[in-house]
Amino acid sequence: MSEEISQESRLSTSGKEAAAPARTRFSSRGLIITLTRAAIILGFLLLWELASGRWIEPFLISSPTRIFTSLISGFREGDLFQHSWVTFTEIAIGFPIGAIAGIGLGYAFGRSRLLAEVFEPIIMALNGIPRTALAPLFIVWLGIGLWSKVGVVFLLTFFLNFFNTYSGMRQMDQEYVDLARLMGVKGWKLSFKVIFPAISPYVFTGIRTSIPFAVIGAIVGEFVAATEGIGFFIRMSAGIFRTADVFVGIIVLMIMVIILDKIAEAVERRALRWQAQTEHVQIQG
Amino acid sequence: MADLAHAAQQSRQSQPDFVIKVQNVSKIFHTPSQADLSALTGIELDIRPGEFITVVGPSGCGKSTLLKLIAGFSPPSAGRILFQGDEVRGLNTRVGYVPQESKLFPWLTVEENVGFGLDTRRFSRADRARQVSQFINLAGLAGFEKYYPAQLSGGMGKRASIVRALAYEPPVILMDEPFGPLDAQTRMVLQDELLKIWEQKRQTIIFVTHDLVEAVALADRVVVMTHRPGKVKDVIHVPMARPRNIFEIHRQDGFDEAYGRLWNIFRHELNIGAH
Repeated sequence: MSEEISQESRLSTSGKEAAAPARTRFSSRGLIITLTRAAIILGFLLLWELASGRWIEPFLISSPTRIFTSLISGFREGDLFQHSWVTFTEIAIGFPIGAIAGIGLGYAFGRSRLLAEVFEPIIMALNGIPRTALAPLFIVWLGIGLWSKVGVVFLLTFFLNFFNTYSGMRQMDQEYVDLARLMGVKGWKLSFKVIFPAISPYVFTGIRTSIPFAVIGAIVGEFVAATEGIGFFIRMSAGIFRTADVFVGIIVLMIMVIILDKIAEAVERRALRWQAQTEHVQIQG
Repeated sequence: MADLAHAAQQSRQSQPDFVIKVQNVSKIFHTPSQADLSALTGIELDIRPGEFITVVGPSGCGKSTLLKLIAGFSPPSAGRILFQGDEVRGLNTRVGYVPQESKLFPWLTVEENVGFGLDTRRFSRADRARQVSQFINLAGLAGFEKYYPAQLSGGMGKRASIVRALAYEPPVILMDEPFGPLDAQTRMVLQDELLKIWEQKRQTIIFVTHDLVEAVALADRVVVMTHRPGKVKDVIHVPMARPRNIFEIHRQDGFDEAYGRLWNIFRHELNIGAH
């Protein structure tokens, strides 16, 4: 017994010793990767800058310097901040509602066989609709303001979260639930202490894959009909051949997606730290 | 703690004879694709409080099904099971269950896993902490409280899984081949630990296994089941003294005799199973 434990701890110490040199090796390799990546990006930007006006018309591809100045001036003098804020608001409302509704329904389907049997074909059929095609309808229903975009964001977010959560519910190991119930856990405690943790990897996959789609939803809504927002800004800029501003809009969207994803990633890492095990503890010592 | 011991004592007084009575229990599984499968038929079994019962039988004889019925995961097709005098209907939350694989909740630390069953029962914070650390120590997992199951070895996970079921002190623990997938040495170590813990706590244990040595080494009584549909073929008393030395169980008085009797009965079952 004590012998076995000491063996285990010996194992883990040797693991620690082995991990240290591996990490330094990794970091020098990581440096090479980072440098190569930076070189490729720089090379691309340089080529772009050179090509613009020399080989290709600037109104087609703009140029990195033009885009950069437009970005700065857009935020300083123009209404880019206002546009970003509008798009962000649409996502900030539509995304959480869509995610919560999708997760909730996926959970309900997993819990109630009757519900799943009745509604599954309907949901599948609805899922067959290309959802962005519904954007004009949302404009008709909810007007050209905020709420039609919230609607499209909701729709795109909802299905992805629903499907991921539901598949988590179906693949969950029922024995965890049985064991917990045997230990006297029931009701909402069973949901929040057992079922949701058990399916959380699936839920997070749903949330993270739906982030870019939430942004797509907002932009598509704004493309169809809007008076403000990044989608509106892009369409308007393209209409008057201000190509640099088109790229500025794209960059803003990209940054938005990256920031949202980083936040979700941080939350996920915290919530699922039990999955990414060994390394953490080895660092703790 | 004291309350719990008191309650246990009381229930023992009101139910002095048997903690579990299995009365003429049968279980038939209805499968849509094939004919109905009769897993158990006419099972009769009385278990006294504090007994260590092992159940052996050829594979597929319904040993696990019997445990699941006692736990109330599904109802028997015929007959009834009395638990402390009450018929088991629905989930039986007075038993602890140790599944074949450890099935620790992977999102909880060792400590949280072991304490899991305590949360639904009335334990003060201090009692809870004491109980958890006591059982973690019993399992030899001190120092690993904050580890997640994925970081444990198979043997450690097994121990944690066992004390998770023991920690909230249900009067009966059901164990479904808990040491099955482990290597021989780890098994012996764990058998030894299980007996040591049991000798301190004296909860009733029903332990399903397919290993005859294990069955004899651990048990007060060995229940031998027949090939499917499972029936109780015989119940063998193991008169070996306690505490037992698992590592030299063969040398202990009474082992050979009990094992010989068990093997004699079991041999016929294997023959039937071989057809």
